[in-house]
Amino acid sequence: MDWDQFDLNPKVIAALKKALQLYQDADHLTSQHQKLSLGCSVLDNLLKGGIPLVGITELAGESSAGKTQIGLQLCLCVQYPYKYGGLESGAVYICTEDVFPSKRLQQLIDQQHKLRADVPAEIIQKTKFGNSIFVEHAADLDTFHNCITRRISLLLTRGMVRLVVIDSIAALFRCEFGVSDSVMKARYLQTFGAQLHSLSTRFRTPIMCINQVTDAVSESEAAQCSCSVVDNRVSPALGITWANQLLMRLMVSRTSQPEQASGVASHHTGSVRTLRVVFAPHLPPSSCYYTVKLEGVKGIK
Amino acid sequence: MQREVGSLPLAPALRARLVAAGFQTAQELLETGPCGLSKEIGISKEEALEALQVVRQACHGEAARTAGASGATRKCTALELLEEEQAQGFIITFCSALDNILGGGVQLTKITEICGAPGVGKTQLCMQLAVDVQIPECFGGVAGEAVFIDTEGSFMVDRVVDIATACVQHCQLIAEAHQEEDHLKALETFSLESILSHIYYFRCRDYIELLAQVYLLPDFLSEHSKVRLVVVDGIAFPFRHDFEDLSLRTRLLNGLAQQLIIIANDHKSAVVLTNQMTTRIGQSQSTLVPALGESWGHAATVRLIFHWDNSQRLATLYKSPSQKESTIPYHITSHGFRDVQPPAVTQNAEDTEMNPRKRPRREEET
Repeated sequence: MDWDQFDLNPKVIAALKKALQLYQDADHLTSQHQKLSLGCSVLDNLLKGGIPLVGITELAGESSAGKTQIGLQLCLCVQYPYKYGGLESGAVYICTEDVFPSKRLQQLIDQQHKLRADVPAEIIQKTKFGNSIFVEHAADLDTFHNCITRRISLLLTRGMVRLVVIDSIAALFRCEFGVSDSVMKARYLQTFGAQLHSLSTRFRTPIMCINQVTDAVSESEAAQCSCSVVDNRVSPALGITWANQLLMRLMVSRTSQPEQASGVASHHTGSVRTLRVVFAPHLPPSSCYYTVKLEGVKGIK
Repeated sequence: MQREVGSLPLAPALRARLVAAGFQTAQELLETGPCGLSKEIGISKEEALEALQVVRQACHGEAARTAGASGATRKCTALELLEEEQAQGFIITFCSALDNILGGGVQLTKITEICGAPGVGKTQLCMQLAVDVQIPECFGGVAGEAVFIDTEGSFMVDRVVDIATACVQHCQLIAEAHQEEDHLKALETFSLESILSHIYYFRCRDYIELLAQVYLLPDFLSEHSKVRLVVVDGIAFPFRHDFEDLSLRTRLLNGLAQQLIIIANDHKSAVVLTNQMTTRIGQSQSTLVPALGESWGHAATVRLIFHWDNSQRLATLYKSPSQKESTIPYHITSHGFRDVQPPAVTQNAEDTEMNPRKRPRREEET
């Protein structure tokens, strides 16, 4: 296609891509097929490759369902080479409620060779995992705002990080805003969402937001989150304002014991959890089981 | 008549004097008249008269030109419009229930807005339409191309590939069933690669880029005259943050709507927009309403609202000039946007429905 013959604004030409070019793009720097792996083939199959690189992905669930574990595992996965599903860069972990679980991170680092049997041992030994994870604590809105507008952009511009995990986004909003401040809360949510979205687009960096859940008041709300279990009627916090900012929503929950297939229970000590895709533009609503072991989060076939 | 004084074909010194005296448009000059003009600027009456004649000629020429151009806006009767509309194509959605309530599908030359909560299927329908607009005419399509303007980054090519593959297979099945020559010939050019290469994808990161893209779109469309669908996925997203001045937002949105209407009419293409939902807190309860305010509601000709009813997705035709308001269920499968399979009808029910005029037999009591 000879673009010079068209007297078009050069920016329009640059912006134009045909869907075919997007499909055939094999360059890992720009391709849509490039995704961030979760470190486990079962979980990656559920997500058709992993987390998309551009956009905000949310992970919601009750407490102790395994959200922080998945967040930590992603921080380690991002440091592997492109060949093994990583992005060859570090991660920023923003804690808004608890202290950062550094002991658990150390355990995971020590056991990486067990989790990632597909990666050659030299690569695992060479990578200094702890060095590339930057931890920020932001307990209130202003600190958080400062963090995402100034401190993270610095790391992103230098290419030192290519993953941002926010644990959790709900904690910032659940104590500061009363019922009458809903307009203010919505405005903050939209501003943060837009800023995170623009960071993600500019630097091709996945943003993983961990969210809490609240009880669903009506049947229809619970059904929207595909919660088929009757006594598990919860829906992600922060409402539709936050949901509009997301590209993809995942939910984790603890499955009660009788639900598992009979053969599964005998092999796995520790409870089985479910990872469910609630909505995504490229995935059907589906789910898979996983457990949290010493070496990390592993899916069950 | 509104021409600026600085652009009139007068002597530069005279122009400078007129501007210094405070005249801004040609209209003001003509209204002042030669006597008033000579007094204001300090030139002789003859010079003022000459200047006004020049101004009048310049304005006339312009008026004649615009009148000539507007000769293109032809007068036509309602009957001609009806015939034109009936000959207009529709873009089918592969969900026959949705096509029925829309009166045949997404109509060309109209703006259709799709509103819904996140995850209900708006982007899926947009991707389906971007594929369906390319269906060849012998299969019932409009054989056009599509422009996809993405503001949220939710256009995933892999999903479009699935939808396009299913559409090609569907057409192949029809061709096998009918075995007609033009069907087979059309299938030669209707393949996955050709479908993907005729979807023009633009990514806009904020409202300024979106506005620029839409204003530059007519140039693009005049080069690509086969485009029959323009999708803006996420018209609400760039406008819902960072706007302290809501009246500015309304003005920008109105300008955008006008531009889209012009594009839809001049290029005979359908424009499809997706919008978010927001909560409106009423007296005793809160409801979900389309975002961007009441004035934006007037921008679209047809409005569809997608929502959930327990775990069933429903589409409601909320606003349409020609179709009545109704709700239908739909499904999103791995092949794309589809109907819900109706349950099998039992024999008894069928009998009574066969002839509604027949009264059911009753035992006569004596």
